[in-house]
Amino acid sequence: MLSLMERLRLTHPIHFVIGLTLWSIWFVVVYGGQAVACEVAPPMPEQGVFNLLNGWLLIVSILAMAVLVALTWGCCQIANRHQGRLRFNAAVSAGLYLFSALSVVFVALPIVGVPPCL
Amino acid sequence: MTTINRQATPQDPQGPQGLHDDLHEIWGNPRGLKALTIVNHTTLGLRFMVTGMVFFLIGGILAMLVRTQLAMPDQDFMSPEIYNQVFTMHGTVMMFLFAIPMLEGLAIYMIPKMIGTRDLVCPRLTSLGYFCYLFGGIILTSSLILEMAPASGWFMYTPLSSSEYAPDLGSDFWLLGITFVEISALSAGVELVVSILRTRTQGMALHKMPLFAWYILAMALMIVVGFPPLILGSVLLELERAVGMPFFEVAGGGDPVLWQHLFWLFGHPEVYIIFLPAAGIVSTLIPVFAGRPIVGYGWVVFAIITTGFISFGLWVHHMFTVGIPQLAQAFFSAASMLVAVPTAIQVFVWLATLWLGKPKMKLPMLWIVGFLVIFVCGGLTGVMLALVPFNWQVHDTHFVVAHMHYVLVGGMFFPLMAGLYYWLPLFSGRMPSETIGKWGFWLTFIGFNATFLIMHWTGLLGMPRRVYTYDTGMGWDIYNLLSSVGGFIMSAGIAMVLIDIALHFRYGKPAKHNPWNADTLEWANSMPPSAYNYVSLPTIETRHPLWDNPDLPRTMAEGQHGLAVATHGRRELWGTDPLTGKLRETIHLPGNSWWPLFASLALAVVCISLLVRWYPLAGIAVIVAGVFLLRWSWENGAHPKAAPDAKVMPGDPPLHSRTMDGPGLWTMSVFLIANGSFFLSYLFGWFYLWTVSPEWSMPETSPLSLVVLVGAGIATIAGMGVMEKLVSGLRQQRDAGLAVGLYIASGLGALQVLLIGWVLYSANLAVTETAHDAVILVGLIYALFHGGLAAVLSLLQGLRVGYGYVGAHAPFEPAVVAQLWRFNVVTFWVLIGALAVLPRVIGG
Repeated sequence: MLSLMERLRLTHPIHFVIGLTLWSIWFVVVYGGQAVACEVAPPMPEQGVFNLLNGWLLIVSILAMAVLVALTWGCCQIANRHQGRLRFNAAVSAGLYLFSALSVVFVALPIVGVPPCL
Repeated sequence: MTTINRQATPQDPQGPQGLHDDLHEIWGNPRGLKALTIVNHTTLGLRFMVTGMVFFLIGGILAMLVRTQLAMPDQDFMSPEIYNQVFTMHGTVMMFLFAIPMLEGLAIYMIPKMIGTRDLVCPRLTSLGYFCYLFGGIILTSSLILEMAPASGWFMYTPLSSSEYAPDLGSDFWLLGITFVEISALSAGVELVVSILRTRTQGMALHKMPLFAWYILAMALMIVVGFPPLILGSVLLELERAVGMPFFEVAGGGDPVLWQHLFWLFGHPEVYIIFLPAAGIVSTLIPVFAGRPIVGYGWVVFAIITTGFISFGLWVHHMFTVGIPQLAQAFFSAASMLVAVPTAIQVFVWLATLWLGKPKMKLPMLWIVGFLVIFVCGGLTGVMLALVPFNWQVHDTHFVVAHMHYVLVGGMFFPLMAGLYYWLPLFSGRMPSETIGKWGFWLTFIGFNATFLIMHWTGLLGMPRRVYTYDTGMGWDIYNLLSSVGGFIMSAGIAMVLIDIALHFRYGKPAKHNPWNADTLEWANSMPPSAYNYVSLPTIETRHPLWDNPDLPRTMAEGQHGLAVATHGRRELWGTDPLTGKLRETIHLPGNSWWPLFASLALAVVCISLLVRWYPLAGIAVIVAGVFLLRWSWENGAHPKAAPDAKVMPGDPPLHSRTMDGPGLWTMSVFLIANGSFFLSYLFGWFYLWTVSPEWSMPETSPLSLVVLVGAGIATIAGMGVMEKLVSGLRQQRDAGLAVGLYIASGLGALQVLLIGWVLYSANLAVTETAHDAVILVGLIYALFHGGLAAVLSLLQGLRVGYGYVGAHAPFEPAVVAQLWRFNVVTFWVLIGALAVLPRVIGG
């Protein structure tokens, strides 16, 4: 895991934008997927929240969150090993990955409580 | 760190003054009619700001007309038709002609000074942007005089803005004028990104950059990504109005909600595009007046980046009442609440800095405090509006109007005033009057709250926005009257501020150098600044250069730092590594030029002739504009007017045109990001209509010839391959067969154009009958334009090889054109997939 993180060069400022880019892609996939599925093959209303569509949305969200949490952890590890510019980059990236992960959780919460196509 | 050119030119008998004179000779502004050729960022930044203030006054007068009309029930001060034009133009002028250009103007003026360089990286683009803004603004506001102004609200919802309900020219003025102005915004966005990343003075690593530069970097990137959806929407709506292509008409397979999506994909980030630079002013001023570094520089960077991204995920909260599923509403409601987090982080950082410092309540700080109070209130009502049930209740009421003004006036105008007062001594060398300034502030602050705090209640009582009058029995009389009185008090305050600023140029006390004891580099300038900013460019490895080295302005003015040389006659600045700030190239900039003015005049002719439906003239003007732009691009690289020889001082890095990684490459990349955003918006429109539009009809067989399209795609790939091979050769200093290769690439581009043209011709599209065919036409024209552009640019490169402007000695430009080829390949094949393959695979 650590070697993978090292290959990702987590001290590079590109990581300032990767976390929130992943969040944006996740957001588009979840919103777009839900909208298209509701047009093409909406689940039966009596199924409530327990239907295949919400299940998929939840799985995608959990995967996105897991990736973002892993990257947060990696950035924290790397930040502790450096000083100056590299530490700054990794620390800010860690914060941004964490925020992205929490944002996935917060925005995805309604999936477990609201039927998708009503 | 390399340190070079530590002294002024040795042949200079007058010492530093002689060097100043030499630099002035190279960088100085001409007078008279030739002042129109100026490309200098200081002059153009001021022009942007002065023009923005003129439009602000126009927008302000319109606001007062609105408040006069609404002051009493059953007023007939204005007819409903005129009222509609007035409130539409108030919003449009304030958002598009004041807020963004004003802040861009400030950024254009300030960024090179703050990052220790002499100009922006594309000075002629700055000039083009200014003239596009000026002409677009004039065209748009002229509609008021002609009583033909747009009247559908500043977000121009269809079908209200479509030809059926708005048959006169008002909507056309809006669509064409705003698109014209957006060229300006995009130009500034692109060059601010590249300038901040590539021209910071040596040693200024990313994490040492002034916070204002971080904010402007985020703002500029947001403009680059956020504006193209509206440009696309405007193009589609204008095509619908002018030609009858039914993009937003349900009967033709379109959908009016598509306009709302495209508008708010731009419109919500726009709020943060306006807020971020203003917050940048706050983050710059508070440490200065608190007398200590900001608490949590990294937290602020975190907040800027977060705001920039999250703000793109909120657009549907403007559309909660259009009938979308509850789960989708919940997603956007949650995302809308999330954006409060980075904003709150910034507020706490500012408060902590004030708490730990020793704040001095000078005039700029008054405006900052006013900002904090008003903006926090606006932010809280924003969170309220993010909640779907509450949003439904107050949708389209004056509550929303009040919230928006708390956010925009509090979040943009108050910090802007703080910034103007703060930097006034830099602009003019004189101090403003504290007494008049304080009167101006308090009148504005009291007037603003009297107007808009009360307007929240008017809205909660149910008064809809945009109604031109109301019945006295509704119970809104007193609130409207108080709001109107407040509006006029606020106007009096703003008038006092403007009087103060005008008077200070003549009567203000001369300012001492760095009068606020600021830490950032712009105060190392002379006051007012020279056209070249700095005689020598220092090495900066701290976030607070003037606090850590108060002697820096003197040593810079004496030419004791880098690039203190003028003998070559070029406008030069450092090109540095975007991450570390290490020196990479010497960037040479083009000088004053008529081409930006001529090109923007030709574009103005395009705009006006489209407005009056003189399409042949519009076509001619497009060609003329293209010729001007290409002629402008000709004076580049090793051209005699640019840098015919590659000589640099011993130890200096090479000229950028003699490397493979100059700023032009970055400019093209950022431009292609904007272009990609336009393309993705187009794809969104295609799939949206396909999926959602109730009357969308997909023909059983695709009208597009897949074989010919694939042939065109292969031609594009071959063209890109040729370009890549040539660029690879240039990297190894080989230029044998360069011209021939470029001509071959050009020919392949022309072949692609021909094949697409054939597909279009043979498709026999019914573009005025179905949205399906109309969307296909737009996509193919997009591909046609890009194929043609790649062909023409490759052809020009071939010609430049013949003239000796491009080759192994000056290898830079083909690499820039190669980027366009790569982009074309990707977008064209995606287009083939979306328009020709997917419909065949999954059908309608």
